[in-house]
Amino acid sequence: MMALLPLFILGMLSPTPAESVECVGPPEYYAIALLPTRRVPEARMAEGTAHVSFVESPFGLAMTRSGHYRYELNVRVAGLRPVEGHAYVSWMATPDLKDHRRLGLLPENGHLTTEVEWNKFIVFITLEVVDAPEDVAWQGPVVLRGMSRSGLMHTMAGHGPYEQEPCTVYGYY
Amino acid sequence: MRRIAWVAAILILVAPAVGQHHHHHAMAPVADSLQWRMPPMDMSMPMMPGLESALPPTGPMLPGPKSYPPARPGEVVSLADKDTLHLEASPVMRTINGQSLVMYGYNGQYPGPMLKVQQGSTIIVRFHNALEEPTTVHWHGLRLNSRFDGIPGISQSPVGGGEAFTYELYFPDDGLYWYHPHVREDVQQDLGLYGNIQVVPKSQYDDNPVHLEQRLILDDVLLDEHGLIPWGEDVPTHALMGRFGNVMLTNGVTDFEMNVQPASVVRFYLTNVANARSFNVTFGDLPIKVIASDISRFERQIMVESVPIAPAERYIVEVRFPETGTVAITNSIQAIDHFRGEFYPSIDTLGLVHVGGDPAASDYDASFEQLRDHAAVIRDIDAYREHFNRPPDKELELSVRVRDLPLAIMLSMEIDTLYVPPVEWNDAMPMMNWLSTGAQVTWVLREESSGLENMDIQWSFRQGEIIKVRLFNNPRSFHPMHHPIHFHGQRFLVLEIDGVRNTNLVWKDTATVPVGSTVDFLVDMSNPGSWMAHCHIAEHLQSGMMLGFTVETQNPPR
Repeated sequence: MMALLPLFILGMLSPTPAESVECVGPPEYYAIALLPTRRVPEARMAEGTAHVSFVESPFGLAMTRSGHYRYELNVRVAGLRPVEGHAYVSWMATPDLKDHRRLGLLPENGHLTTEVEWNKFIVFITLEVVDAPEDVAWQGPVVLRGMSRSGLMHTMAGHGPYEQEPCTVYGYY
Repeated sequence: MRRIAWVAAILILVAPAVGQHHHHHAMAPVADSLQWRMPPMDMSMPMMPGLESALPPTGPMLPGPKSYPPARPGEVVSLADKDTLHLEASPVMRTINGQSLVMYGYNGQYPGPMLKVQQGSTIIVRFHNALEEPTTVHWHGLRLNSRFDGIPGISQSPVGGGEAFTYELYFPDDGLYWYHPHVREDVQQDLGLYGNIQVVPKSQYDDNPVHLEQRLILDDVLLDEHGLIPWGEDVPTHALMGRFGNVMLTNGVTDFEMNVQPASVVRFYLTNVANARSFNVTFGDLPIKVIASDISRFERQIMVESVPIAPAERYIVEVRFPETGTVAITNSIQAIDHFRGEFYPSIDTLGLVHVGGDPAASDYDASFEQLRDHAAVIRDIDAYREHFNRPPDKELELSVRVRDLPLAIMLSMEIDTLYVPPVEWNDAMPMMNWLSTGAQVTWVLREESSGLENMDIQWSFRQGEIIKVRLFNNPRSFHPMHHPIHFHGQRFLVLEIDGVRNTNLVWKDTATVPVGSTVDFLVDMSNPGSWMAHCHIAEHLQSGMMLGFTVETQNPPR
């Protein structure tokens, strides 16, 4: 699974798609661009976006007891062609892939909404065999992936005024 | 324009007046002289290269250095209609973390006295300023006569040292309010000038009974081993993120504790009086029943895990303590370490609730579990629902401009702002923040349609108008940050955030606009007079983030 990390980082560095500013919706700034990996022919032209907005809360901000934001995550994917005997499944994981969560089967319309309580995460779509068990990690290829905006947060070591500080010390490469 | 010039003049005139005037720009602390000291950094953030000896471009300022009477804990003062309260702002001695500090207090108390009044009553406050600098008292959240709102240049002149002013306060709404200065509040409020007002409703709500009521005033102060870190003399320091303290205070103390019996239900009155810090308040892992906020009950009671509360906000909540033991009241957040580029859990204990002894005599369990509708609030809001879906009447963009910041800070910001969280729960860049002052940072409320900004914006409304204000917190500015926006003298509903409709409304006077978000307020322009709206992060207010508006009376006096 760690072999996928460069792909995720690549996704992390990709720009988020522009959105209409007239319509009030989820903040464009925190939108997650879902980019194709081109590993599956039927998904090479796919594209998508995952938006986060606060779940309704008496405080406006929606928070957990531990201080995580409570977001409604809206995944919208287009351009995924069906693959016989397979289904597209949506997932989220921590950037180091140590923790993951199956968000669910991606419906035919490519829209999926769920609540998330993580501050820094990857969203990705895999192609799984139809009967794949739901209680294990993904087995099939990743077809789309994107990083939450917080994934852009990087150590300052090695940059700007901290140019002389090696960022490898802080786990970055 | 004359009013704007007057406001600007007042702000300039009153700003430098505080405290001592001798100062030395040196880092090494000396006990009996006033010098800049680098605020403590409680994380792995190294000193910013090139800025090791940098100091804020303003003089340091502290109250004192004389000795003053010790402050005493805040008292509850019950006032009937037409009663008079004598209120004095004066220097006091406080002991925090074993250090004796010169701070300020109302009536020599910390927090200031809690005023308990009846809805619909009027009281007189004879205020005396025993400080050595000008001040005013702002009665936060009250829909009172604007002449007594405490805003220099808009509603009154500053009350000079040794001078007096008489306020007449009217309480049309029940709920929890507070009072604080509106002159250099980044300094005066931080030094302890704040207190609560509890307005008891005329007619009782269908509340569940509680065993105990307890106010919790949340604050923080910035200390090192030599005492209070000085404030900026002419302009505020910490202008980027606001002045976060490193020592948490609940009701003015670091070791707040209370005792309750098992099975007790306690109603807490929460107020955040910190300059900049938003808290995420928890009561162990106990569920929290939310009853009310700034100016009213919620339409419906609701159970939550935690209470996020921004500066100047208030919440009334209830907690049931079922078992013997100790429950920690905490500020529980996911802080950011910008140097490492990581979130990390951070928990500060705000107080302890000791649960012991015999179980509470009355069993309120079932009643506590019941979530009630507040029919009167729903009926009140019903009159406003026809306005919910209409386009905004006013639109504001929230942003920031900087000039003349050190190059190292500018370079750091390029990395720092790759990701900006919706809310800054901690001061993740303490050195950079400290070095930024109100002379270099301008926080901006911008009205695109007119091209006007901050106090150049002077809206005019008629009493009874319902105004939808759309606020967009632009995430693409130099250092975006959330802003708790406060409208003086009026009440508003937060209709929606980022298109998500709020289906459990409450009348507010202060609400947060997170970074990147678009928030719609529906403001009930019910109270005539000249007013202000501004960010309630004290350093943002002092760095320009305010606008003016007037509400013309429906029936002008003959």
